[in-house]
Amino acid sequence: MSQDRHLILDNCIKCNICVANCPVVKVTDQYAGPKQNGPDLERFRLDEPAAVHPSISYCSNCKTCDFVCPSGVNVATMNCKAKGEYVALNGAPLRDQVLGRVEWICKAAQIAPSIVNWAAGVGPFRAMGEAFFGVAADMPFPRFASKTFLQQFQPKKIANPKGKVLYYPGCYVNYYTPEVGLALAKVLAHNGIEMVVDDFNCCGLPTVSNGLMDAAKAYGVSNLEKLNRYIQDGYAVVTTCPSCNLMLRQEYHELFDMDTTLVTENTYDAFEYLVLLHEKGQLDTQLKALPRRYGYHQPCHLRAVGYGVPSQEILQLIPDLQVLPLDAGCCGLSGSYGFKKEKYPISREIGQNIVRAVEDTGVKQAVTECGMCQLQVNHVTGLPVVHPIELLAEAYGL
Amino acid sequence: MVTERVQVVVIGGGATGTGILRDLAMRGLSALLVEQGDLAHGTSSRFHGLLHSGGRYAVKDKEAAKECIEENLLLRRLAPDCIEPTGGLFAQLPSDDPAYAETWVKACAEAGIETKELDVGALIQKYPVLSPKITRAYSVPDAAVDGFRMLWSNVNSARRYGAKMANYSKLTAIHQTNGRISGVELTNTLTGEARQIECDMVINAAGAWAGEVTTLAGLDVSIIKDKGTLLAFNHRLTNQVVNRLRPPGDADIFVPHGTITLLGTTSVSVDDPNSFKTTDKEVQDMLAVGREMMPRIDDYRIIRAFAGVRPLYQANKGAGGRAVTRNFALIDHEQRDGLTGLISIVGGKFTTFRLMAEKTVDLAAKKLGNNTPCRTKEEPLSAPQSAEMLERGKKVFGVPGAKKAAERLGEGFAKVVAEAEQDRAKRRMFCECEMVSAAEIEYVADDDDSKTLSDIRRRTRMGMGTCQGIFCSYRTLGAMSDHKQFTVTHREFLAEFLQNRWRGVRAVLWGQQLREAQLSSEIFCTLFGMERMK
Amino acid sequence: MNKKTDVLIIGAGLSGLMAAAKAAESGKKVTVAAKGMGSLSLSSGCIDLWGYDIDDPQQVCPNPLAQIARLGEVNREHPYTKVADVLEESLRCFQGITARYGCDYRDNGGANWLLPTAVGTFRPSFLAPPSMAVKDLDKAKRIVIAGYEELKDFYPEVMAANLARNGNLPESVNIAVVKLRCAWKKLYATTLAHRLEQAEGIKEAVDQIKPHVVSGTVVLFPPVLGERLDIDVAARLSAALGAPVYEVANIPPALPGQRLQQLLLKHLRNMGVDVIIGCTFTGAKTEGNRCLQVTAEGAGKTFTFAAQTYVLATGAFVGGGLDSRIGAVREMIFDLPVCTLEKWASGEFLSMNGHGFNRFGIAVNDRLQPLDEAGQVCLENVRITGANLAGANGPIEKCGNGVALASGYKAGKLAGEVPS
Repeated sequence: MSQDRHLILDNCIKCNICVANCPVVKVTDQYAGPKQNGPDLERFRLDEPAAVHPSISYCSNCKTCDFVCPSGVNVATMNCKAKGEYVALNGAPLRDQVLGRVEWICKAAQIAPSIVNWAAGVGPFRAMGEAFFGVAADMPFPRFASKTFLQQFQPKKIANPKGKVLYYPGCYVNYYTPEVGLALAKVLAHNGIEMVVDDFNCCGLPTVSNGLMDAAKAYGVSNLEKLNRYIQDGYAVVTTCPSCNLMLRQEYHELFDMDTTLVTENTYDAFEYLVLLHEKGQLDTQLKALPRRYGYHQPCHLRAVGYGVPSQEILQLIPDLQVLPLDAGCCGLSGSYGFKKEKYPISREIGQNIVRAVEDTGVKQAVTECGMCQLQVNHVTGLPVVHPIELLAEAYGL
Repeated sequence: MVTERVQVVVIGGGATGTGILRDLAMRGLSALLVEQGDLAHGTSSRFHGLLHSGGRYAVKDKEAAKECIEENLLLRRLAPDCIEPTGGLFAQLPSDDPAYAETWVKACAEAGIETKELDVGALIQKYPVLSPKITRAYSVPDAAVDGFRMLWSNVNSARRYGAKMANYSKLTAIHQTNGRISGVELTNTLTGEARQIECDMVINAAGAWAGEVTTLAGLDVSIIKDKGTLLAFNHRLTNQVVNRLRPPGDADIFVPHGTITLLGTTSVSVDDPNSFKTTDKEVQDMLAVGREMMPRIDDYRIIRAFAGVRPLYQANKGAGGRAVTRNFALIDHEQRDGLTGLISIVGGKFTTFRLMAEKTVDLAAKKLGNNTPCRTKEEPLSAPQSAEMLERGKKVFGVPGAKKAAERLGEGFAKVVAEAEQDRAKRRMFCECEMVSAAEIEYVADDDDSKTLSDIRRRTRMGMGTCQGIFCSYRTLGAMSDHKQFTVTHREFLAEFLQNRWRGVRAVLWGQQLREAQLSSEIFCTLFGMERMK
Repeated sequence: MNKKTDVLIIGAGLSGLMAAAKAAESGKKVTVAAKGMGSLSLSSGCIDLWGYDIDDPQQVCPNPLAQIARLGEVNREHPYTKVADVLEESLRCFQGITARYGCDYRDNGGANWLLPTAVGTFRPSFLAPPSMAVKDLDKAKRIVIAGYEELKDFYPEVMAANLARNGNLPESVNIAVVKLRCAWKKLYATTLAHRLEQAEGIKEAVDQIKPHVVSGTVVLFPPVLGERLDIDVAARLSAALGAPVYEVANIPPALPGQRLQQLLLKHLRNMGVDVIIGCTFTGAKTEGNRCLQVTAEGAGKTFTFAAQTYVLATGAFVGGGLDSRIGAVREMIFDLPVCTLEKWASGEFLSMNGHGFNRFGIAVNDRLQPLDEAGQVCLENVRITGANLAGANGPIEKCGNGVALASGYKAGKLAGEVPS
């Protein structure tokens, strides 16, 4: 790994394409940019781990730099690691420690989700949160579901299943949008696929984005161990959250040098899995018409996988459904990033591209895979936003 | 014409010359250092930057080994900001004579060089770039030394003692009166202006150019000019110096040096001390040897190749290359040739420059009737950077930016930090590969000693990183527009710089460096049309 | 996953995007897939066709199209000779597309523009966006060069000194330098472009420049006049200053190239073309002289693409289409034979001969199919475009974008003609 790290570093020819495409650099003068914190300083970090620019916290980990790089440099990974080094040396504010540990917040909120939801919407509380903890008062928190996905999910026994799936819902679906997981369960069952779930840790991406690398690594170790067991038992791992997907199949390896061979091979985005099923002629294509127009927002972490948009391939099988790509780049929220007082204006400004795209296309509702993107698209445009799996479930009449 | 007067004129702004200048000044002798280019433009910046532990010479030349280790330990103490105490290792491969290790360990012990056998498995795990075939490895107190920094520290210290320095001044005549040195004529290489200096003594410390100097005095000194080619890798391959545990040969030392690693060197006799050109064959031969120690070396990016010319002294003509001693010789031309007031110091190596200076000045002082003892063994070369200043620096430049600037600038660091604190725009990194800020570049450009972009490069490392100056040369040029000493046109100014970089890049034009070269031709030709610029 | 499409374009630079735009007109399913964002953002944003006279390379070429038509006589290996039939057509098509999105690329009546650069040289170019097409700079009474103290990539004094020295302007012209201060302190070109899209950014600039504007003034800016297509920053500045405002070519990142990239991507989206960035192609499966599929990698997983036509638009070394080792050059996906020259580079960096490596590439026939050493087509359903083509000396001839445009257009056209 350390050799790979060196070799990738050598690939950077300083062409600045990453800088030119960085959504954060575009809207603020606070961030030294992906190149500087990435490959530029990585050279120094080979003997001086603390070689990190203090502006590193402005990286939103959207990974745009990674997929626009023509040289195959993992710029974002370098930035993440740098953030980790910086936090290890200088500590992280309490706020980031909490925001990074989404799993804690969610578990704690489960004691009384309705009270938490109420409190999260109360202006004075939010003002205090901003003043004392630096949590942006204007950024609405997602609402906790009254019952988690895991509490609601009822496994269905399928005779002679066409496939076996372990669903990794991730924190967002489990605690905020269980309907997404439930829709997937119905779609898979409808197509003769067995789906099971288990109690996993957070994938760790929010901890990585906040520089809490030890916590992320611990999540990774525990998740990988469990995932590998399922895969060895013949299960395919399926996610509906692009960030969890990227984390499991790429980031554990890139960030912590863990052996993820099995998981990388066997983890699928839900629609990637359905496309494969379709290729084998095993997907039910009896779909009822949904005569509606949606604007589709492609989450950055889905773009980062570099295989296009599998949900588009499936949704276009639905008669009369119009899905128009918004193609507006990063939504700007980037998980906990947009909840931070000093980052909120940046996040909102980046999100204006979505606003314009919505105006251009004139759509009245939106669809996107990522929970956080759903939140932001709704926040900046006011449009209702759903996960594509919900549309598919609906088209099956489930 | 203005005629100036000093007691001693020192020829050659390399390690030896600057060391001599400082020693002379510290003993109260008035002295002027004359350099034809910029400081360190010759051999003192064209070597692998290794502060020898002496291990390399232990078996063959005990005297040299002893000198090395003594000076090594001394310089670490006196000039810590010029030296990176990386430590080094000697590793043996199956093709090397296993018996040599025993001989070497014993010889090191005798020379006073501390060695320790290393666990080879652990070593390879730490540095997977190393060959898994390594059979034995020992640690030694090698270190990396920054030639530019060391030379400037010497000159700055010497200036505090009243010495003077004239760069871009070529020695064009040595005047003699009745068998005595009476003065020299210097010609400014940028303006062509001549300058007369009266003096009692000339010390010839011109290294590979020493023969040219004595020729001006009508005398002959035989210098073997031994060209060594080096490769600069884009990053640190290991954090320690890596030597081959066998009798010294070509291309068997890797030295981590700041952000890069240097691999060197070859040894080829040349006629012209200005032979800085490297051939494809030299580069490939060197890679072939380097590959033995680091099998995947071809996967790593080389940013440039360059060459320096070692001045080897040979009292009797005949031997050459590695057979010639790396020791130095002090030639008293009064004794040898009957010319009073001329001393030549030849041969030697960077590691022992201080000792060479001490011996030379001992002789010079005696002749000039000065009895002040040498103090360069005791007095630190420069004051270390204060922790408070470094902290302030980190706030404006970030961690590596501040640390590297502090190392490069010495006492100038405080001023640069203060400038950047006042003006946020000056905190911007002009050279993003080597972390050189606008403030640092302006500070160096303000200095009367800086006359070309390459001078700024040598003092700041601007343009010496991955992109080899594509972006920062243009930025530096822009920031320089209001500096009057840069009188030539922008095109010449930039073209000179780019051409200098190109010489090194062209020799290693494949892989990522070819991509970089294509990008740079896109920028300077496609975008700027500089090939036709007037 | 096995993706299927009719036309697969590998590479998202000018030639790839142009190929996609043309192929999409045929109604075929078109996919653009690239390892990274194409190198348009590294370019000037103008379309250089042919800069200098064939017989006297120090003289600016007065009629690029006529000279290119003559190229077959003097340099038969030049890629223009393979696309001469569609050159004018491709330019018109490109101009048409750009006009549709409110950024009509302008020609100079068949002659080259001579456009100022950030170092004060004048670069010959054939088509320029409205924000760069400076007309009659030599007739201006005063030229105001506006730079920002905080932007480390532009130095108005350097530009001013050399504009005067280069001899294209009358001595009477008054060149004034204005160094603006911006409330934002660390400016990348993109950051400044965003600021200039805001009212306060415009006001900040106008307040500082206005006092220097007299009648007959032309204002020149670094290439930072907005990032978005729907906001015409140059026009806004121009209206507020009462003087024409233009941006000049500069080192990357620069906005005109990025805007062009954005424009073409938007057009492709409207044409229903799929664009996938961040997908690394690793190889191809061939049978006889046909390519059956190409393999790609994303987040550690391998998938395949199958198409009727494959357009190789991966660029040369910078773009990553070609890679080299000591003495050997390789094309990365199909392992096509690469034409090289014995001498890879000139001794002088700024040599008028340019460098051999810039001419390396793949030999093709006039249907842009790759040829082997014997001149036989290696893969009949693969077309080669842009910097992948052998024989152009772009940095010296100033023809890179022209070759990209025409070859991309032709490849797209040919792909559209393939019977389904």
